[in-house]
Amino acid sequence: MARIGVFVCHCGTNIAGSINIPKVLEAVQKMPMVVLAIDNKYSCSEPGQASVRESIIENDLNRVVIAACSPRMHESTFRKTLASAGLNPYLLEIANIREQCSWVHSDNKETATAKAIELIRMAVAKVIRHEPLQPRQVPITKRALVIGGGITGIQAALDIANAGYEVVVVEREPTIGGRMAQLDKTFPTLDCSACILTPKMVDLAQHPKIRLMTYAEVKNVKGFIGNFEVEISQKAKKVDHLKCTGCGICWQKCPVKKIPSEFDLGLGTRPAIYIPFAQAVPPKPVIDRSNCLYIKYLNWVAAGQEGKKPPECRACEKLCPTGAIAWDQADDLVTEKFGAIVVAAGYQTCDYSHYQEYGGGAYPDVITALQLERLMSASGPTGGEIIRPSDGSHPKTVAFICCVGSRDKQRGKPYCSKVCCMYTAKHAIMLKEHDPEIQCYIFYIDVRAGGKDFEEFYLRAVEEAGATYIKGRPAKIYPQDNKLVVRSEDALLGKVVEVTADLVVLATGIEPSVGADQLAQTLKVSYDTYNFMVEAHPKLRPVETQTDGIFVAGACVGPRDIPECVAQGSAAAVKVAALFSQDTLTTDPLIAVVNQARCIGCLLCVAICPFKAIDYQTTRDRRLIAQVNESLCKACGLCIAACRPKAVDLRGFTNQQILDEVTSLWL
Amino acid sequence: MAIGYEPRIIGFLCNWCSYAGADLAGTSRIAYPPNLRIIRVPCSGRVDPLFVVKSFQLGADGVLIAGCHPGDCHYAEGNYHARRRIALLRPFLDYLGIEKQRFRLEWVSASEGKRFSEIVSDFTETLKRMGARET
Amino acid sequence: MINEIRNKAKELLEAKAVECVIGYERATDNLTARPAFVYEPSGADRLIFDETCVHNLSKYLTNRRHERTAIVAKPCDSRGVNLLLNESQLQRENVFIIGVVCSGMKRVRFNLIESSLLTKCQYCRQHTPVIYDFLVGEPVAETTTPDYSDVTEIENMTPVERGALWSEHFARCIRCYGCRQVCIGCYCYECFAEELDPLWIGIRIAPQENWIWNTGRAFHLSARCVACGECERVCPVNIPLMLVNRKLEKDSLQLFGFEPGVSAETAPPFATFKKEDNLGIGE
Repeated sequence: MARIGVFVCHCGTNIAGSINIPKVLEAVQKMPMVVLAIDNKYSCSEPGQASVRESIIENDLNRVVIAACSPRMHESTFRKTLASAGLNPYLLEIANIREQCSWVHSDNKETATAKAIELIRMAVAKVIRHEPLQPRQVPITKRALVIGGGITGIQAALDIANAGYEVVVVEREPTIGGRMAQLDKTFPTLDCSACILTPKMVDLAQHPKIRLMTYAEVKNVKGFIGNFEVEISQKAKKVDHLKCTGCGICWQKCPVKKIPSEFDLGLGTRPAIYIPFAQAVPPKPVIDRSNCLYIKYLNWVAAGQEGKKPPECRACEKLCPTGAIAWDQADDLVTEKFGAIVVAAGYQTCDYSHYQEYGGGAYPDVITALQLERLMSASGPTGGEIIRPSDGSHPKTVAFICCVGSRDKQRGKPYCSKVCCMYTAKHAIMLKEHDPEIQCYIFYIDVRAGGKDFEEFYLRAVEEAGATYIKGRPAKIYPQDNKLVVRSEDALLGKVVEVTADLVVLATGIEPSVGADQLAQTLKVSYDTYNFMVEAHPKLRPVETQTDGIFVAGACVGPRDIPECVAQGSAAAVKVAALFSQDTLTTDPLIAVVNQARCIGCLLCVAICPFKAIDYQTTRDRRLIAQVNESLCKACGLCIAACRPKAVDLRGFTNQQILDEVTSLWL
Repeated sequence: MAIGYEPRIIGFLCNWCSYAGADLAGTSRIAYPPNLRIIRVPCSGRVDPLFVVKSFQLGADGVLIAGCHPGDCHYAEGNYHARRRIALLRPFLDYLGIEKQRFRLEWVSASEGKRFSEIVSDFTETLKRMGARET
Repeated sequence: MINEIRNKAKELLEAKAVECVIGYERATDNLTARPAFVYEPSGADRLIFDETCVHNLSKYLTNRRHERTAIVAKPCDSRGVNLLLNESQLQRENVFIIGVVCSGMKRVRFNLIESSLLTKCQYCRQHTPVIYDFLVGEPVAETTTPDYSDVTEIENMTPVERGALWSEHFARCIRCYGCRQVCIGCYCYECFAEELDPLWIGIRIAPQENWIWNTGRAFHLSARCVACGECERVCPVNIPLMLVNRKLEKDSLQLFGFEPGVSAETAPPFATFKKEDNLGIGE
């Protein structure tokens, strides 16, 4: 039997000025199960709270209604008051008779008073059904998983590890470094990209708290914040990295030499046993199984020896001084436990082959900006010499086309890829440094130089490197006399211009890496139509997702440059460290609860939950029923409204309570 | 229109946006008619269509459901589901004799105190003109 | 046609592919049909199929999730099977559907089969079952334009007229819950009408409670009712229940392009949403 105490607050004159408090008390005393109705000048103050506390104890109250300001103001305050009186803090209800009554009906005291009485009647009806609740403690596995070994993932991993927690970094490629390893210099400082990146790569590899898994991918994720279970597939490298010293004899002597290098974007070649670039971490090779002769031979044997016999090469094995080649190494699937996951899956450049007016990839001297980075790079396929891919000669006139595939609603991405204006300016400056005779023409729509020192950097390209900026989107590139003619409108002059160039560089847009959508589905994290990961709130929660415990950072969330990626990596690391700084997670008890007898297993709630907090289980009598994950449920109530047999209910806002609030207005 | 007829409106307001918007109307001391009784729910998606049906059958003259603007739901998706449910419920109740002007779905953000008071005033005025329910 | 059904039933029972074949047999009045449960191959000869086979046999599948069952299904009944599959109430491998191409059902009154088709059959747009393992009869192309003129007629009345119309209809309701018992979509173990905590309706026969019952049940069937028409057929006081359900069917089709039971795979409108939903409410 409920023993309800109702405390009506004056709030000075804020409430008492418009509402007849004695009349309210008189009406409240007659309400069902109300054993005490008193008023306070300021309920939230020290004496006010003391009055509530003493009243609870003296009158043996087991439910409390405070008629005062909005629950959004002081619900948590008064919950603590109840707790200090020895009463469960969830046995409280607040009637909003200030913001939603006295302050908006100050013109008519009679109606305001009548409304206040009704609002309290509703709160009394609701509080009867409140139940005492206890929060639960859930343990946390203090290990973090970082998916992606580019600069963002590296920064996040280092920061988490330096905070004292174990990290596992999973990278799909044979090496970490990501896109930044492919760059020559970075804007606006013109730092050598590899020089600033490789020390971090080495720090990561040598950090005692970080375990690096390259040539591996995340396959399946189960569980919830603090308690994830992740399946990682480790692709067989066919080289035992514990024995390998990275001496390099194998990749120097491998007879299969002419495989187009992925790292050099087709401008260079690599052998079948290889490291992607000289400063790769780990500096130990993997064998490309689709091109290795001996593996082709083994497959030929296993398939029944039909057709031509591939050579039984094994040169690497014969030459390896430590016997590190391991032909029988198999793909492996490991399951690991983590408390938090950071997604830093990075980006790739967009394909431009449907831009037939730019050759669609058929002209060898039309290259992408990233390919130019490889040419400029001292460790690249040309040793840092800028040459035309067609004939190896040095270009004297270079044309740049910006926004290829970006800001294009019809055939590309509608968004701006953010970094291209800056790196094109950088290319103009760098090319001038390589060869003072080079003249650069940059076709642009706008120049976006919003970061620190970015505007000055762009002006340097114009004033010092003498780059000519032409405002127009080129309509066509066509070959003429062993050169390429770029035909465009110059919008500022209002004329058609043509630039005859030796080399054309396209600033292609950037998009999330291949498989980003599958990764998002595996993690059950939202992603948008362009496969960018979706953050919990674009302004205020940029590194969190709707899924507690899974954080996102870097270019996999949207186009961004290196300083932003590094900042986000650190931001995600702080969130992880904050999570791990507690010993257990406290779950809110005001969540959805399933009545297993009523549940018909239609699974509509499972489909509808925005947080994937409802799953299903099979009972011993082979029925499917819904099951709420208490750590994930956010108490939105969507499932309750969807449930036809009313099998699931929401603590704190049960069906009974809301109906009682409505019905109390007619009783 | 009967003199002295005061319509009774039940409002289901979501805690994060519309309830806060109603609070802001109070903080800004913007007056509106006293006919609305507000029930706080965590999300507009919490509102079971049966609450609406029951409210009308008990005798409510009008029902208001207010939630966050689409895209701003505190729980990401709740208001999209509410929108779908009410898109079917409102014409259905109209078909059965409860005029659709008596049942409103509004998006009110936490900063729209003035707008909230205008909605309540407008709704109350409409219901007064329509008069008491005949069914 | 009937021989094909009987032979298939016999074949399934002899091979023990199913434990039971649910079909139709002649009732004791020698005129109408009634549901039949055949467990032995010899019983297959009881099976019939004609225009008196009005029952939606998929209702009997709701408690046979783990038993292997065959069912004789008209197109409307086959939509019921899809509904159950959609809502995880059935395992596909446990149901063998003997689909029957249907030219419509008729009512029997005063010991005579009426000459015109049931109202629901006049609006029917699928004469071939939408899901089946074995088809009896030649498939017929679907007639495509939906006809909701009966609903529009009521929509065009004034609110007062509409209110009066439905008050009169619902006033007759005696809350026998026959409509619920026979409905394929009503398979909950505990119905909201019988919940005590909270008491949504209670047992009293009164206008308000009748109104909440019929409105609530119809809304629980929104975008789920497969228009088998059984509710209206069994109502002892002739409430035109299909006129209620068809309003929601029309709106589901127009707002969401969704037809219940036509496919076992599409997500029902309430399980999902589109950010750009333009549904004529809110902004």
